[in-house]
Amino acid sequence: MAIAPEVRPAGTREQPAAINLVDTDVHNYIGGSRVLLEYLPERWIHYLEHTGFDSPPRDFYPRYYQHAARRDSFPPSGIPGSDPQFAAEQLLDGYGIDIGILNCLYPAYKLFNIDMANALIRAANDWQIDKWLDADPRWRASILVNARDPQFSAEEIRRCARHPGYVQVLMLARNHAPLGKREFWPIYEAAQDCGLPIGVHFGGGHDVPITSSGWPSYYIEDHTGMAQSFQSQVLSLVCEGVFVEYPKTKVVLIEGGFAWMPPLMWRLDKNWKGLRGEVPWLTKPPSDYIREHIRCSTQPMEEPEDPRHLAQIIDMLGSDEFLLFATDYPHWDFDSPERALPSVIGDDLREKIFSKNALKIYDFARG
Amino acid sequence: MPAVDVGPVEDFPLGEIRPAKLNGRGIAVVRNDNAVYAVRDTCPHQGAKLTLGTLTGEPVYCGPGNIEFRRFGQVLKCPWHGWDYSLADGTAIGGNRTTRIRAYRARIENGRVLVETD
Repeated sequence: MAIAPEVRPAGTREQPAAINLVDTDVHNYIGGSRVLLEYLPERWIHYLEHTGFDSPPRDFYPRYYQHAARRDSFPPSGIPGSDPQFAAEQLLDGYGIDIGILNCLYPAYKLFNIDMANALIRAANDWQIDKWLDADPRWRASILVNARDPQFSAEEIRRCARHPGYVQVLMLARNHAPLGKREFWPIYEAAQDCGLPIGVHFGGGHDVPITSSGWPSYYIEDHTGMAQSFQSQVLSLVCEGVFVEYPKTKVVLIEGGFAWMPPLMWRLDKNWKGLRGEVPWLTKPPSDYIREHIRCSTQPMEEPEDPRHLAQIIDMLGSDEFLLFATDYPHWDFDSPERALPSVIGDDLREKIFSKNALKIYDFARG
Repeated sequence: MPAVDVGPVEDFPLGEIRPAKLNGRGIAVVRNDNAVYAVRDTCPHQGAKLTLGTLTGEPVYCGPGNIEFRRFGQVLKCPWHGWDYSLADGTAIGGNRTTRIRAYRARIENGRVLVETD
């Protein structure tokens, strides 16, 4: 059923009586661009059919398992993450998850034809509503945008935000420019106006090297090195003054780890003492902005050999509101709610990581 | 050593991972050539069912651009995070110093697969 160009009017989204477990990173997949035909304008239907276009380019590295997925996450037909009911049963029912936030990684942003990219992104947003958000009240979703076209992205945020199932704007850690740059500010303005946090997810990077010193050879470098990109984005968002200009903005770093954050804060605070004249809009230590505006999802959970070291790192973050639980279903590096958090994390903090912190960032009852 | 009959040998085709029950507990059974292996069906890392994993070998570095697999078919790879375990003794392969899965002695007698308990 085609929904574009207007998203259906928002109603009050059904919310579970109690929210004890929120998964802030679930992936839903569009099997191929033909799935989007019914949500596309005539021009692009014709173009896709004429060219036989199937899907935007995806990966540079084989990602361990097929579709980078748990081997038990294949639905009866289609690829992992393509069947809403199967995913709901395996993930939400299987682990007692009350809310699952969908981050669709459809890579239309990789297309150099910006009109085509925008059309596919808009179609993907409508597909999410039709096939996922309307299928199960436990799903929430992130709005896909095109970082290469912030004006379009702002319009898309305002359009999609009318649907109460959308709770976040989705950007990617590897971008053509650091995300704090002013060119992206229309995105943050729209997100703030709509009361939506910005999710910055693992991935991206197709036209710039994915590390600060070029292209690595192996997926293990790609996967582990993603933290470099997240660090760059934190520095940029803070130093460019995004949180000063848009003080209600919240950013959730998804799938980037968090153990690197304390030393980054130390280093940035130290440099700010001497170099703050460059960025005089930062009127307090940068780590204050980070703690106030930024959150990290837990997956892939840091796993030091001595779990007590993890507790120490969390303590060094300086906030018990910083971490949000995520599984990354259906990907191979899935974190189980039953096993991911080691016993050194006490009940109070565990409760915050599993749900309370997410409830402070996301409005699951938007209407 | 007491042993539990977990089924006829035909239920465990060569080179495949098959589930079975050992005193009510799930195990993964693999039959290779003349050997049969049985290990717990749960990865101690995050709880994945190992029967959904794959059989692989131990990659050994033999100089630039040259990797050989040894013990192919005798290493069980977790279907989630890909941790590898030796079917023979349950030890983790490759740098994973603290984790292992429970391995049971198994044998074939009179066309049946028997798994020892202790």
